[in-house]
Amino acid sequence: MNNQSKNKDMEGLREIGAAASVLWWRFFDWIALLSWPKMLLFWVGMLLVGGLLKLSGPLWAIIILTIPVMKVLAGGKRRAEVVAAKATMQANVESLERRLLEAQIAALQAQVEPHFLFNTLALIGQLIETDPPAAARIHKHLIEYLRSAVPQMRERGGSTLGRQIELSRAYLSIMQARMKERLSVDIELPSALSDLPFPAMMLQSVVENAIKHGLEPKTQGGHITVRAEIVDHLLHVDVIDNGAGFDSHADDGTGLANIRERLKVLYEGKALLVIEVPEDGGALVSIRVPIAVDDSADAGQNR
Amino acid sequence: MPTAIIVDDESPMRDQLRGRLRDAWPELTIMAEAGNGIEAVALAGVHQPDIVFLDIRMPGQSGIEAARLLYSRCHIVFVTAYDQYAMQAFDQGAIDYLLKPVDVDRLRRTCERLRGRLNETPDDIERLLTRLAIGKDGKKPDYLRWVQASVGASLRMISTREILFFQSDDKYTRVQTEQTEVLIRKSLKELADELDPSEFWRIHRSTLVRVDAIIEVSRDERGRQLVQLRNHPERLEVSRNHSHLFQQM
Repeated sequence: MNNQSKNKDMEGLREIGAAASVLWWRFFDWIALLSWPKMLLFWVGMLLVGGLLKLSGPLWAIIILTIPVMKVLAGGKRRAEVVAAKATMQANVESLERRLLEAQIAALQAQVEPHFLFNTLALIGQLIETDPPAAARIHKHLIEYLRSAVPQMRERGGSTLGRQIELSRAYLSIMQARMKERLSVDIELPSALSDLPFPAMMLQSVVENAIKHGLEPKTQGGHITVRAEIVDHLLHVDVIDNGAGFDSHADDGTGLANIRERLKVLYEGKALLVIEVPEDGGALVSIRVPIAVDDSADAGQNR
Repeated sequence: MPTAIIVDDESPMRDQLRGRLRDAWPELTIMAEAGNGIEAVALAGVHQPDIVFLDIRMPGQSGIEAARLLYSRCHIVFVTAYDQYAMQAFDQGAIDYLLKPVDVDRLRRTCERLRGRLNETPDDIERLLTRLAIGKDGKKPDYLRWVQASVGASLRMISTREILFFQSDDKYTRVQTEQTEVLIRKSLKELADELDPSEFWRIHRSTLVRVDAIIEVSRDERGRQLVQLRNHPERLEVSRNHSHLFQQM
């Protein structure tokens, strides 16, 4: 019984102590943040108040003298906090860099699909016998495609929308030769947009998805449209197909997740990957990136 | 006279095989060609061929699925350009296969073999085909991976990977991503049943939260647990019933 009440008292004391310490540190921080002129004002004020209340004696003198000392000390604590914040920020930058690296690696891994390559080679083999000019055309498209799609051959640094669309055009020409009347293609690229910077292999990965998951599985095939336009300072690059559409239980796959991650890292959250279901079915995948305006033109070139 | 059907979704490849077969086995009559598995099964029913040459990857019904319906009535020869998984299985089993582009010598050998077996009943390849079909589709259970939401006049698909949390809000459910917030009609209960439970946790009667988006769980002055998510300012309350999810080790 006695012990219990003692415990209670102890706890009460502890709580008061804790509250006092919180108050004390707040005061400490407040002093640290106070500018020196204001500090001086505060100090003079304290002296005046002391004078008015006729406070004197060693205790008051100590309090008055301690305040500037505290300010210096608190400043030190503050500086330490600033250093800590900087370190945190640096850690954030490092994590961003790591993510960028990861995204780049992932982009490198988005390789040429062996299934596509072997089927195309088989087709070229057949056409050499039956239709040599067509074989030569597809052979040329395949080289164009591989030049951009094989990681080791990809150009360093930034790519442009024009180049990315050419890559997809080569790919789609090959698919048209294979799927014949089952595939029709429409590419709408206003010439003014073709020199805009655009990340490599993003559009192509969306186009391949549209073929692989949208149109190839559909018996009667379908249509694919690739179009670029500027809407509200964003460059929209859309891939629209009227194929099998999205299965809401099918895994996102690494393709789209990869694009989303790369966009996040490259454009700091200012780019979007939007997926919609068009009215007549199929899928619309839209990559939306900010267009580099004057002050960010450098950043655009760095990509 | 032996008869056959050629099935491939790419017509140039059908032409190629037809041409090669004319050289390798002149007596073989090609009765029909099909562009997908469903057509193949229908045509096989009409023509009753001895042999079906089947591409594996085709729209509608894959070659493997078609073969499961056909193997008891005719000899199956798979034709593929690249299919690592299937080729491994074929090499172990008694299944004939050809690689595209079809090599004439290889085709001759295959035709030789088929000629010798025409009058025998085809091998029972059911088990092998079943294994192949499972190997191709036998993945994780089908959890909900995309949420449909009306945004303006359009129907948008939002990947669950993007979603930070779901919160029930009257008769709607609020879907929060890093960039946007939408309302959907699907109830939290339905979502909880369909989503991958290792991906989303229920932390409150009205909240489902993406596990790997959680960066911190703290307590407020009233002792409630609050979940902090990456790139999102709002903190979400953990109800008492679910506080065991975040017990300290």
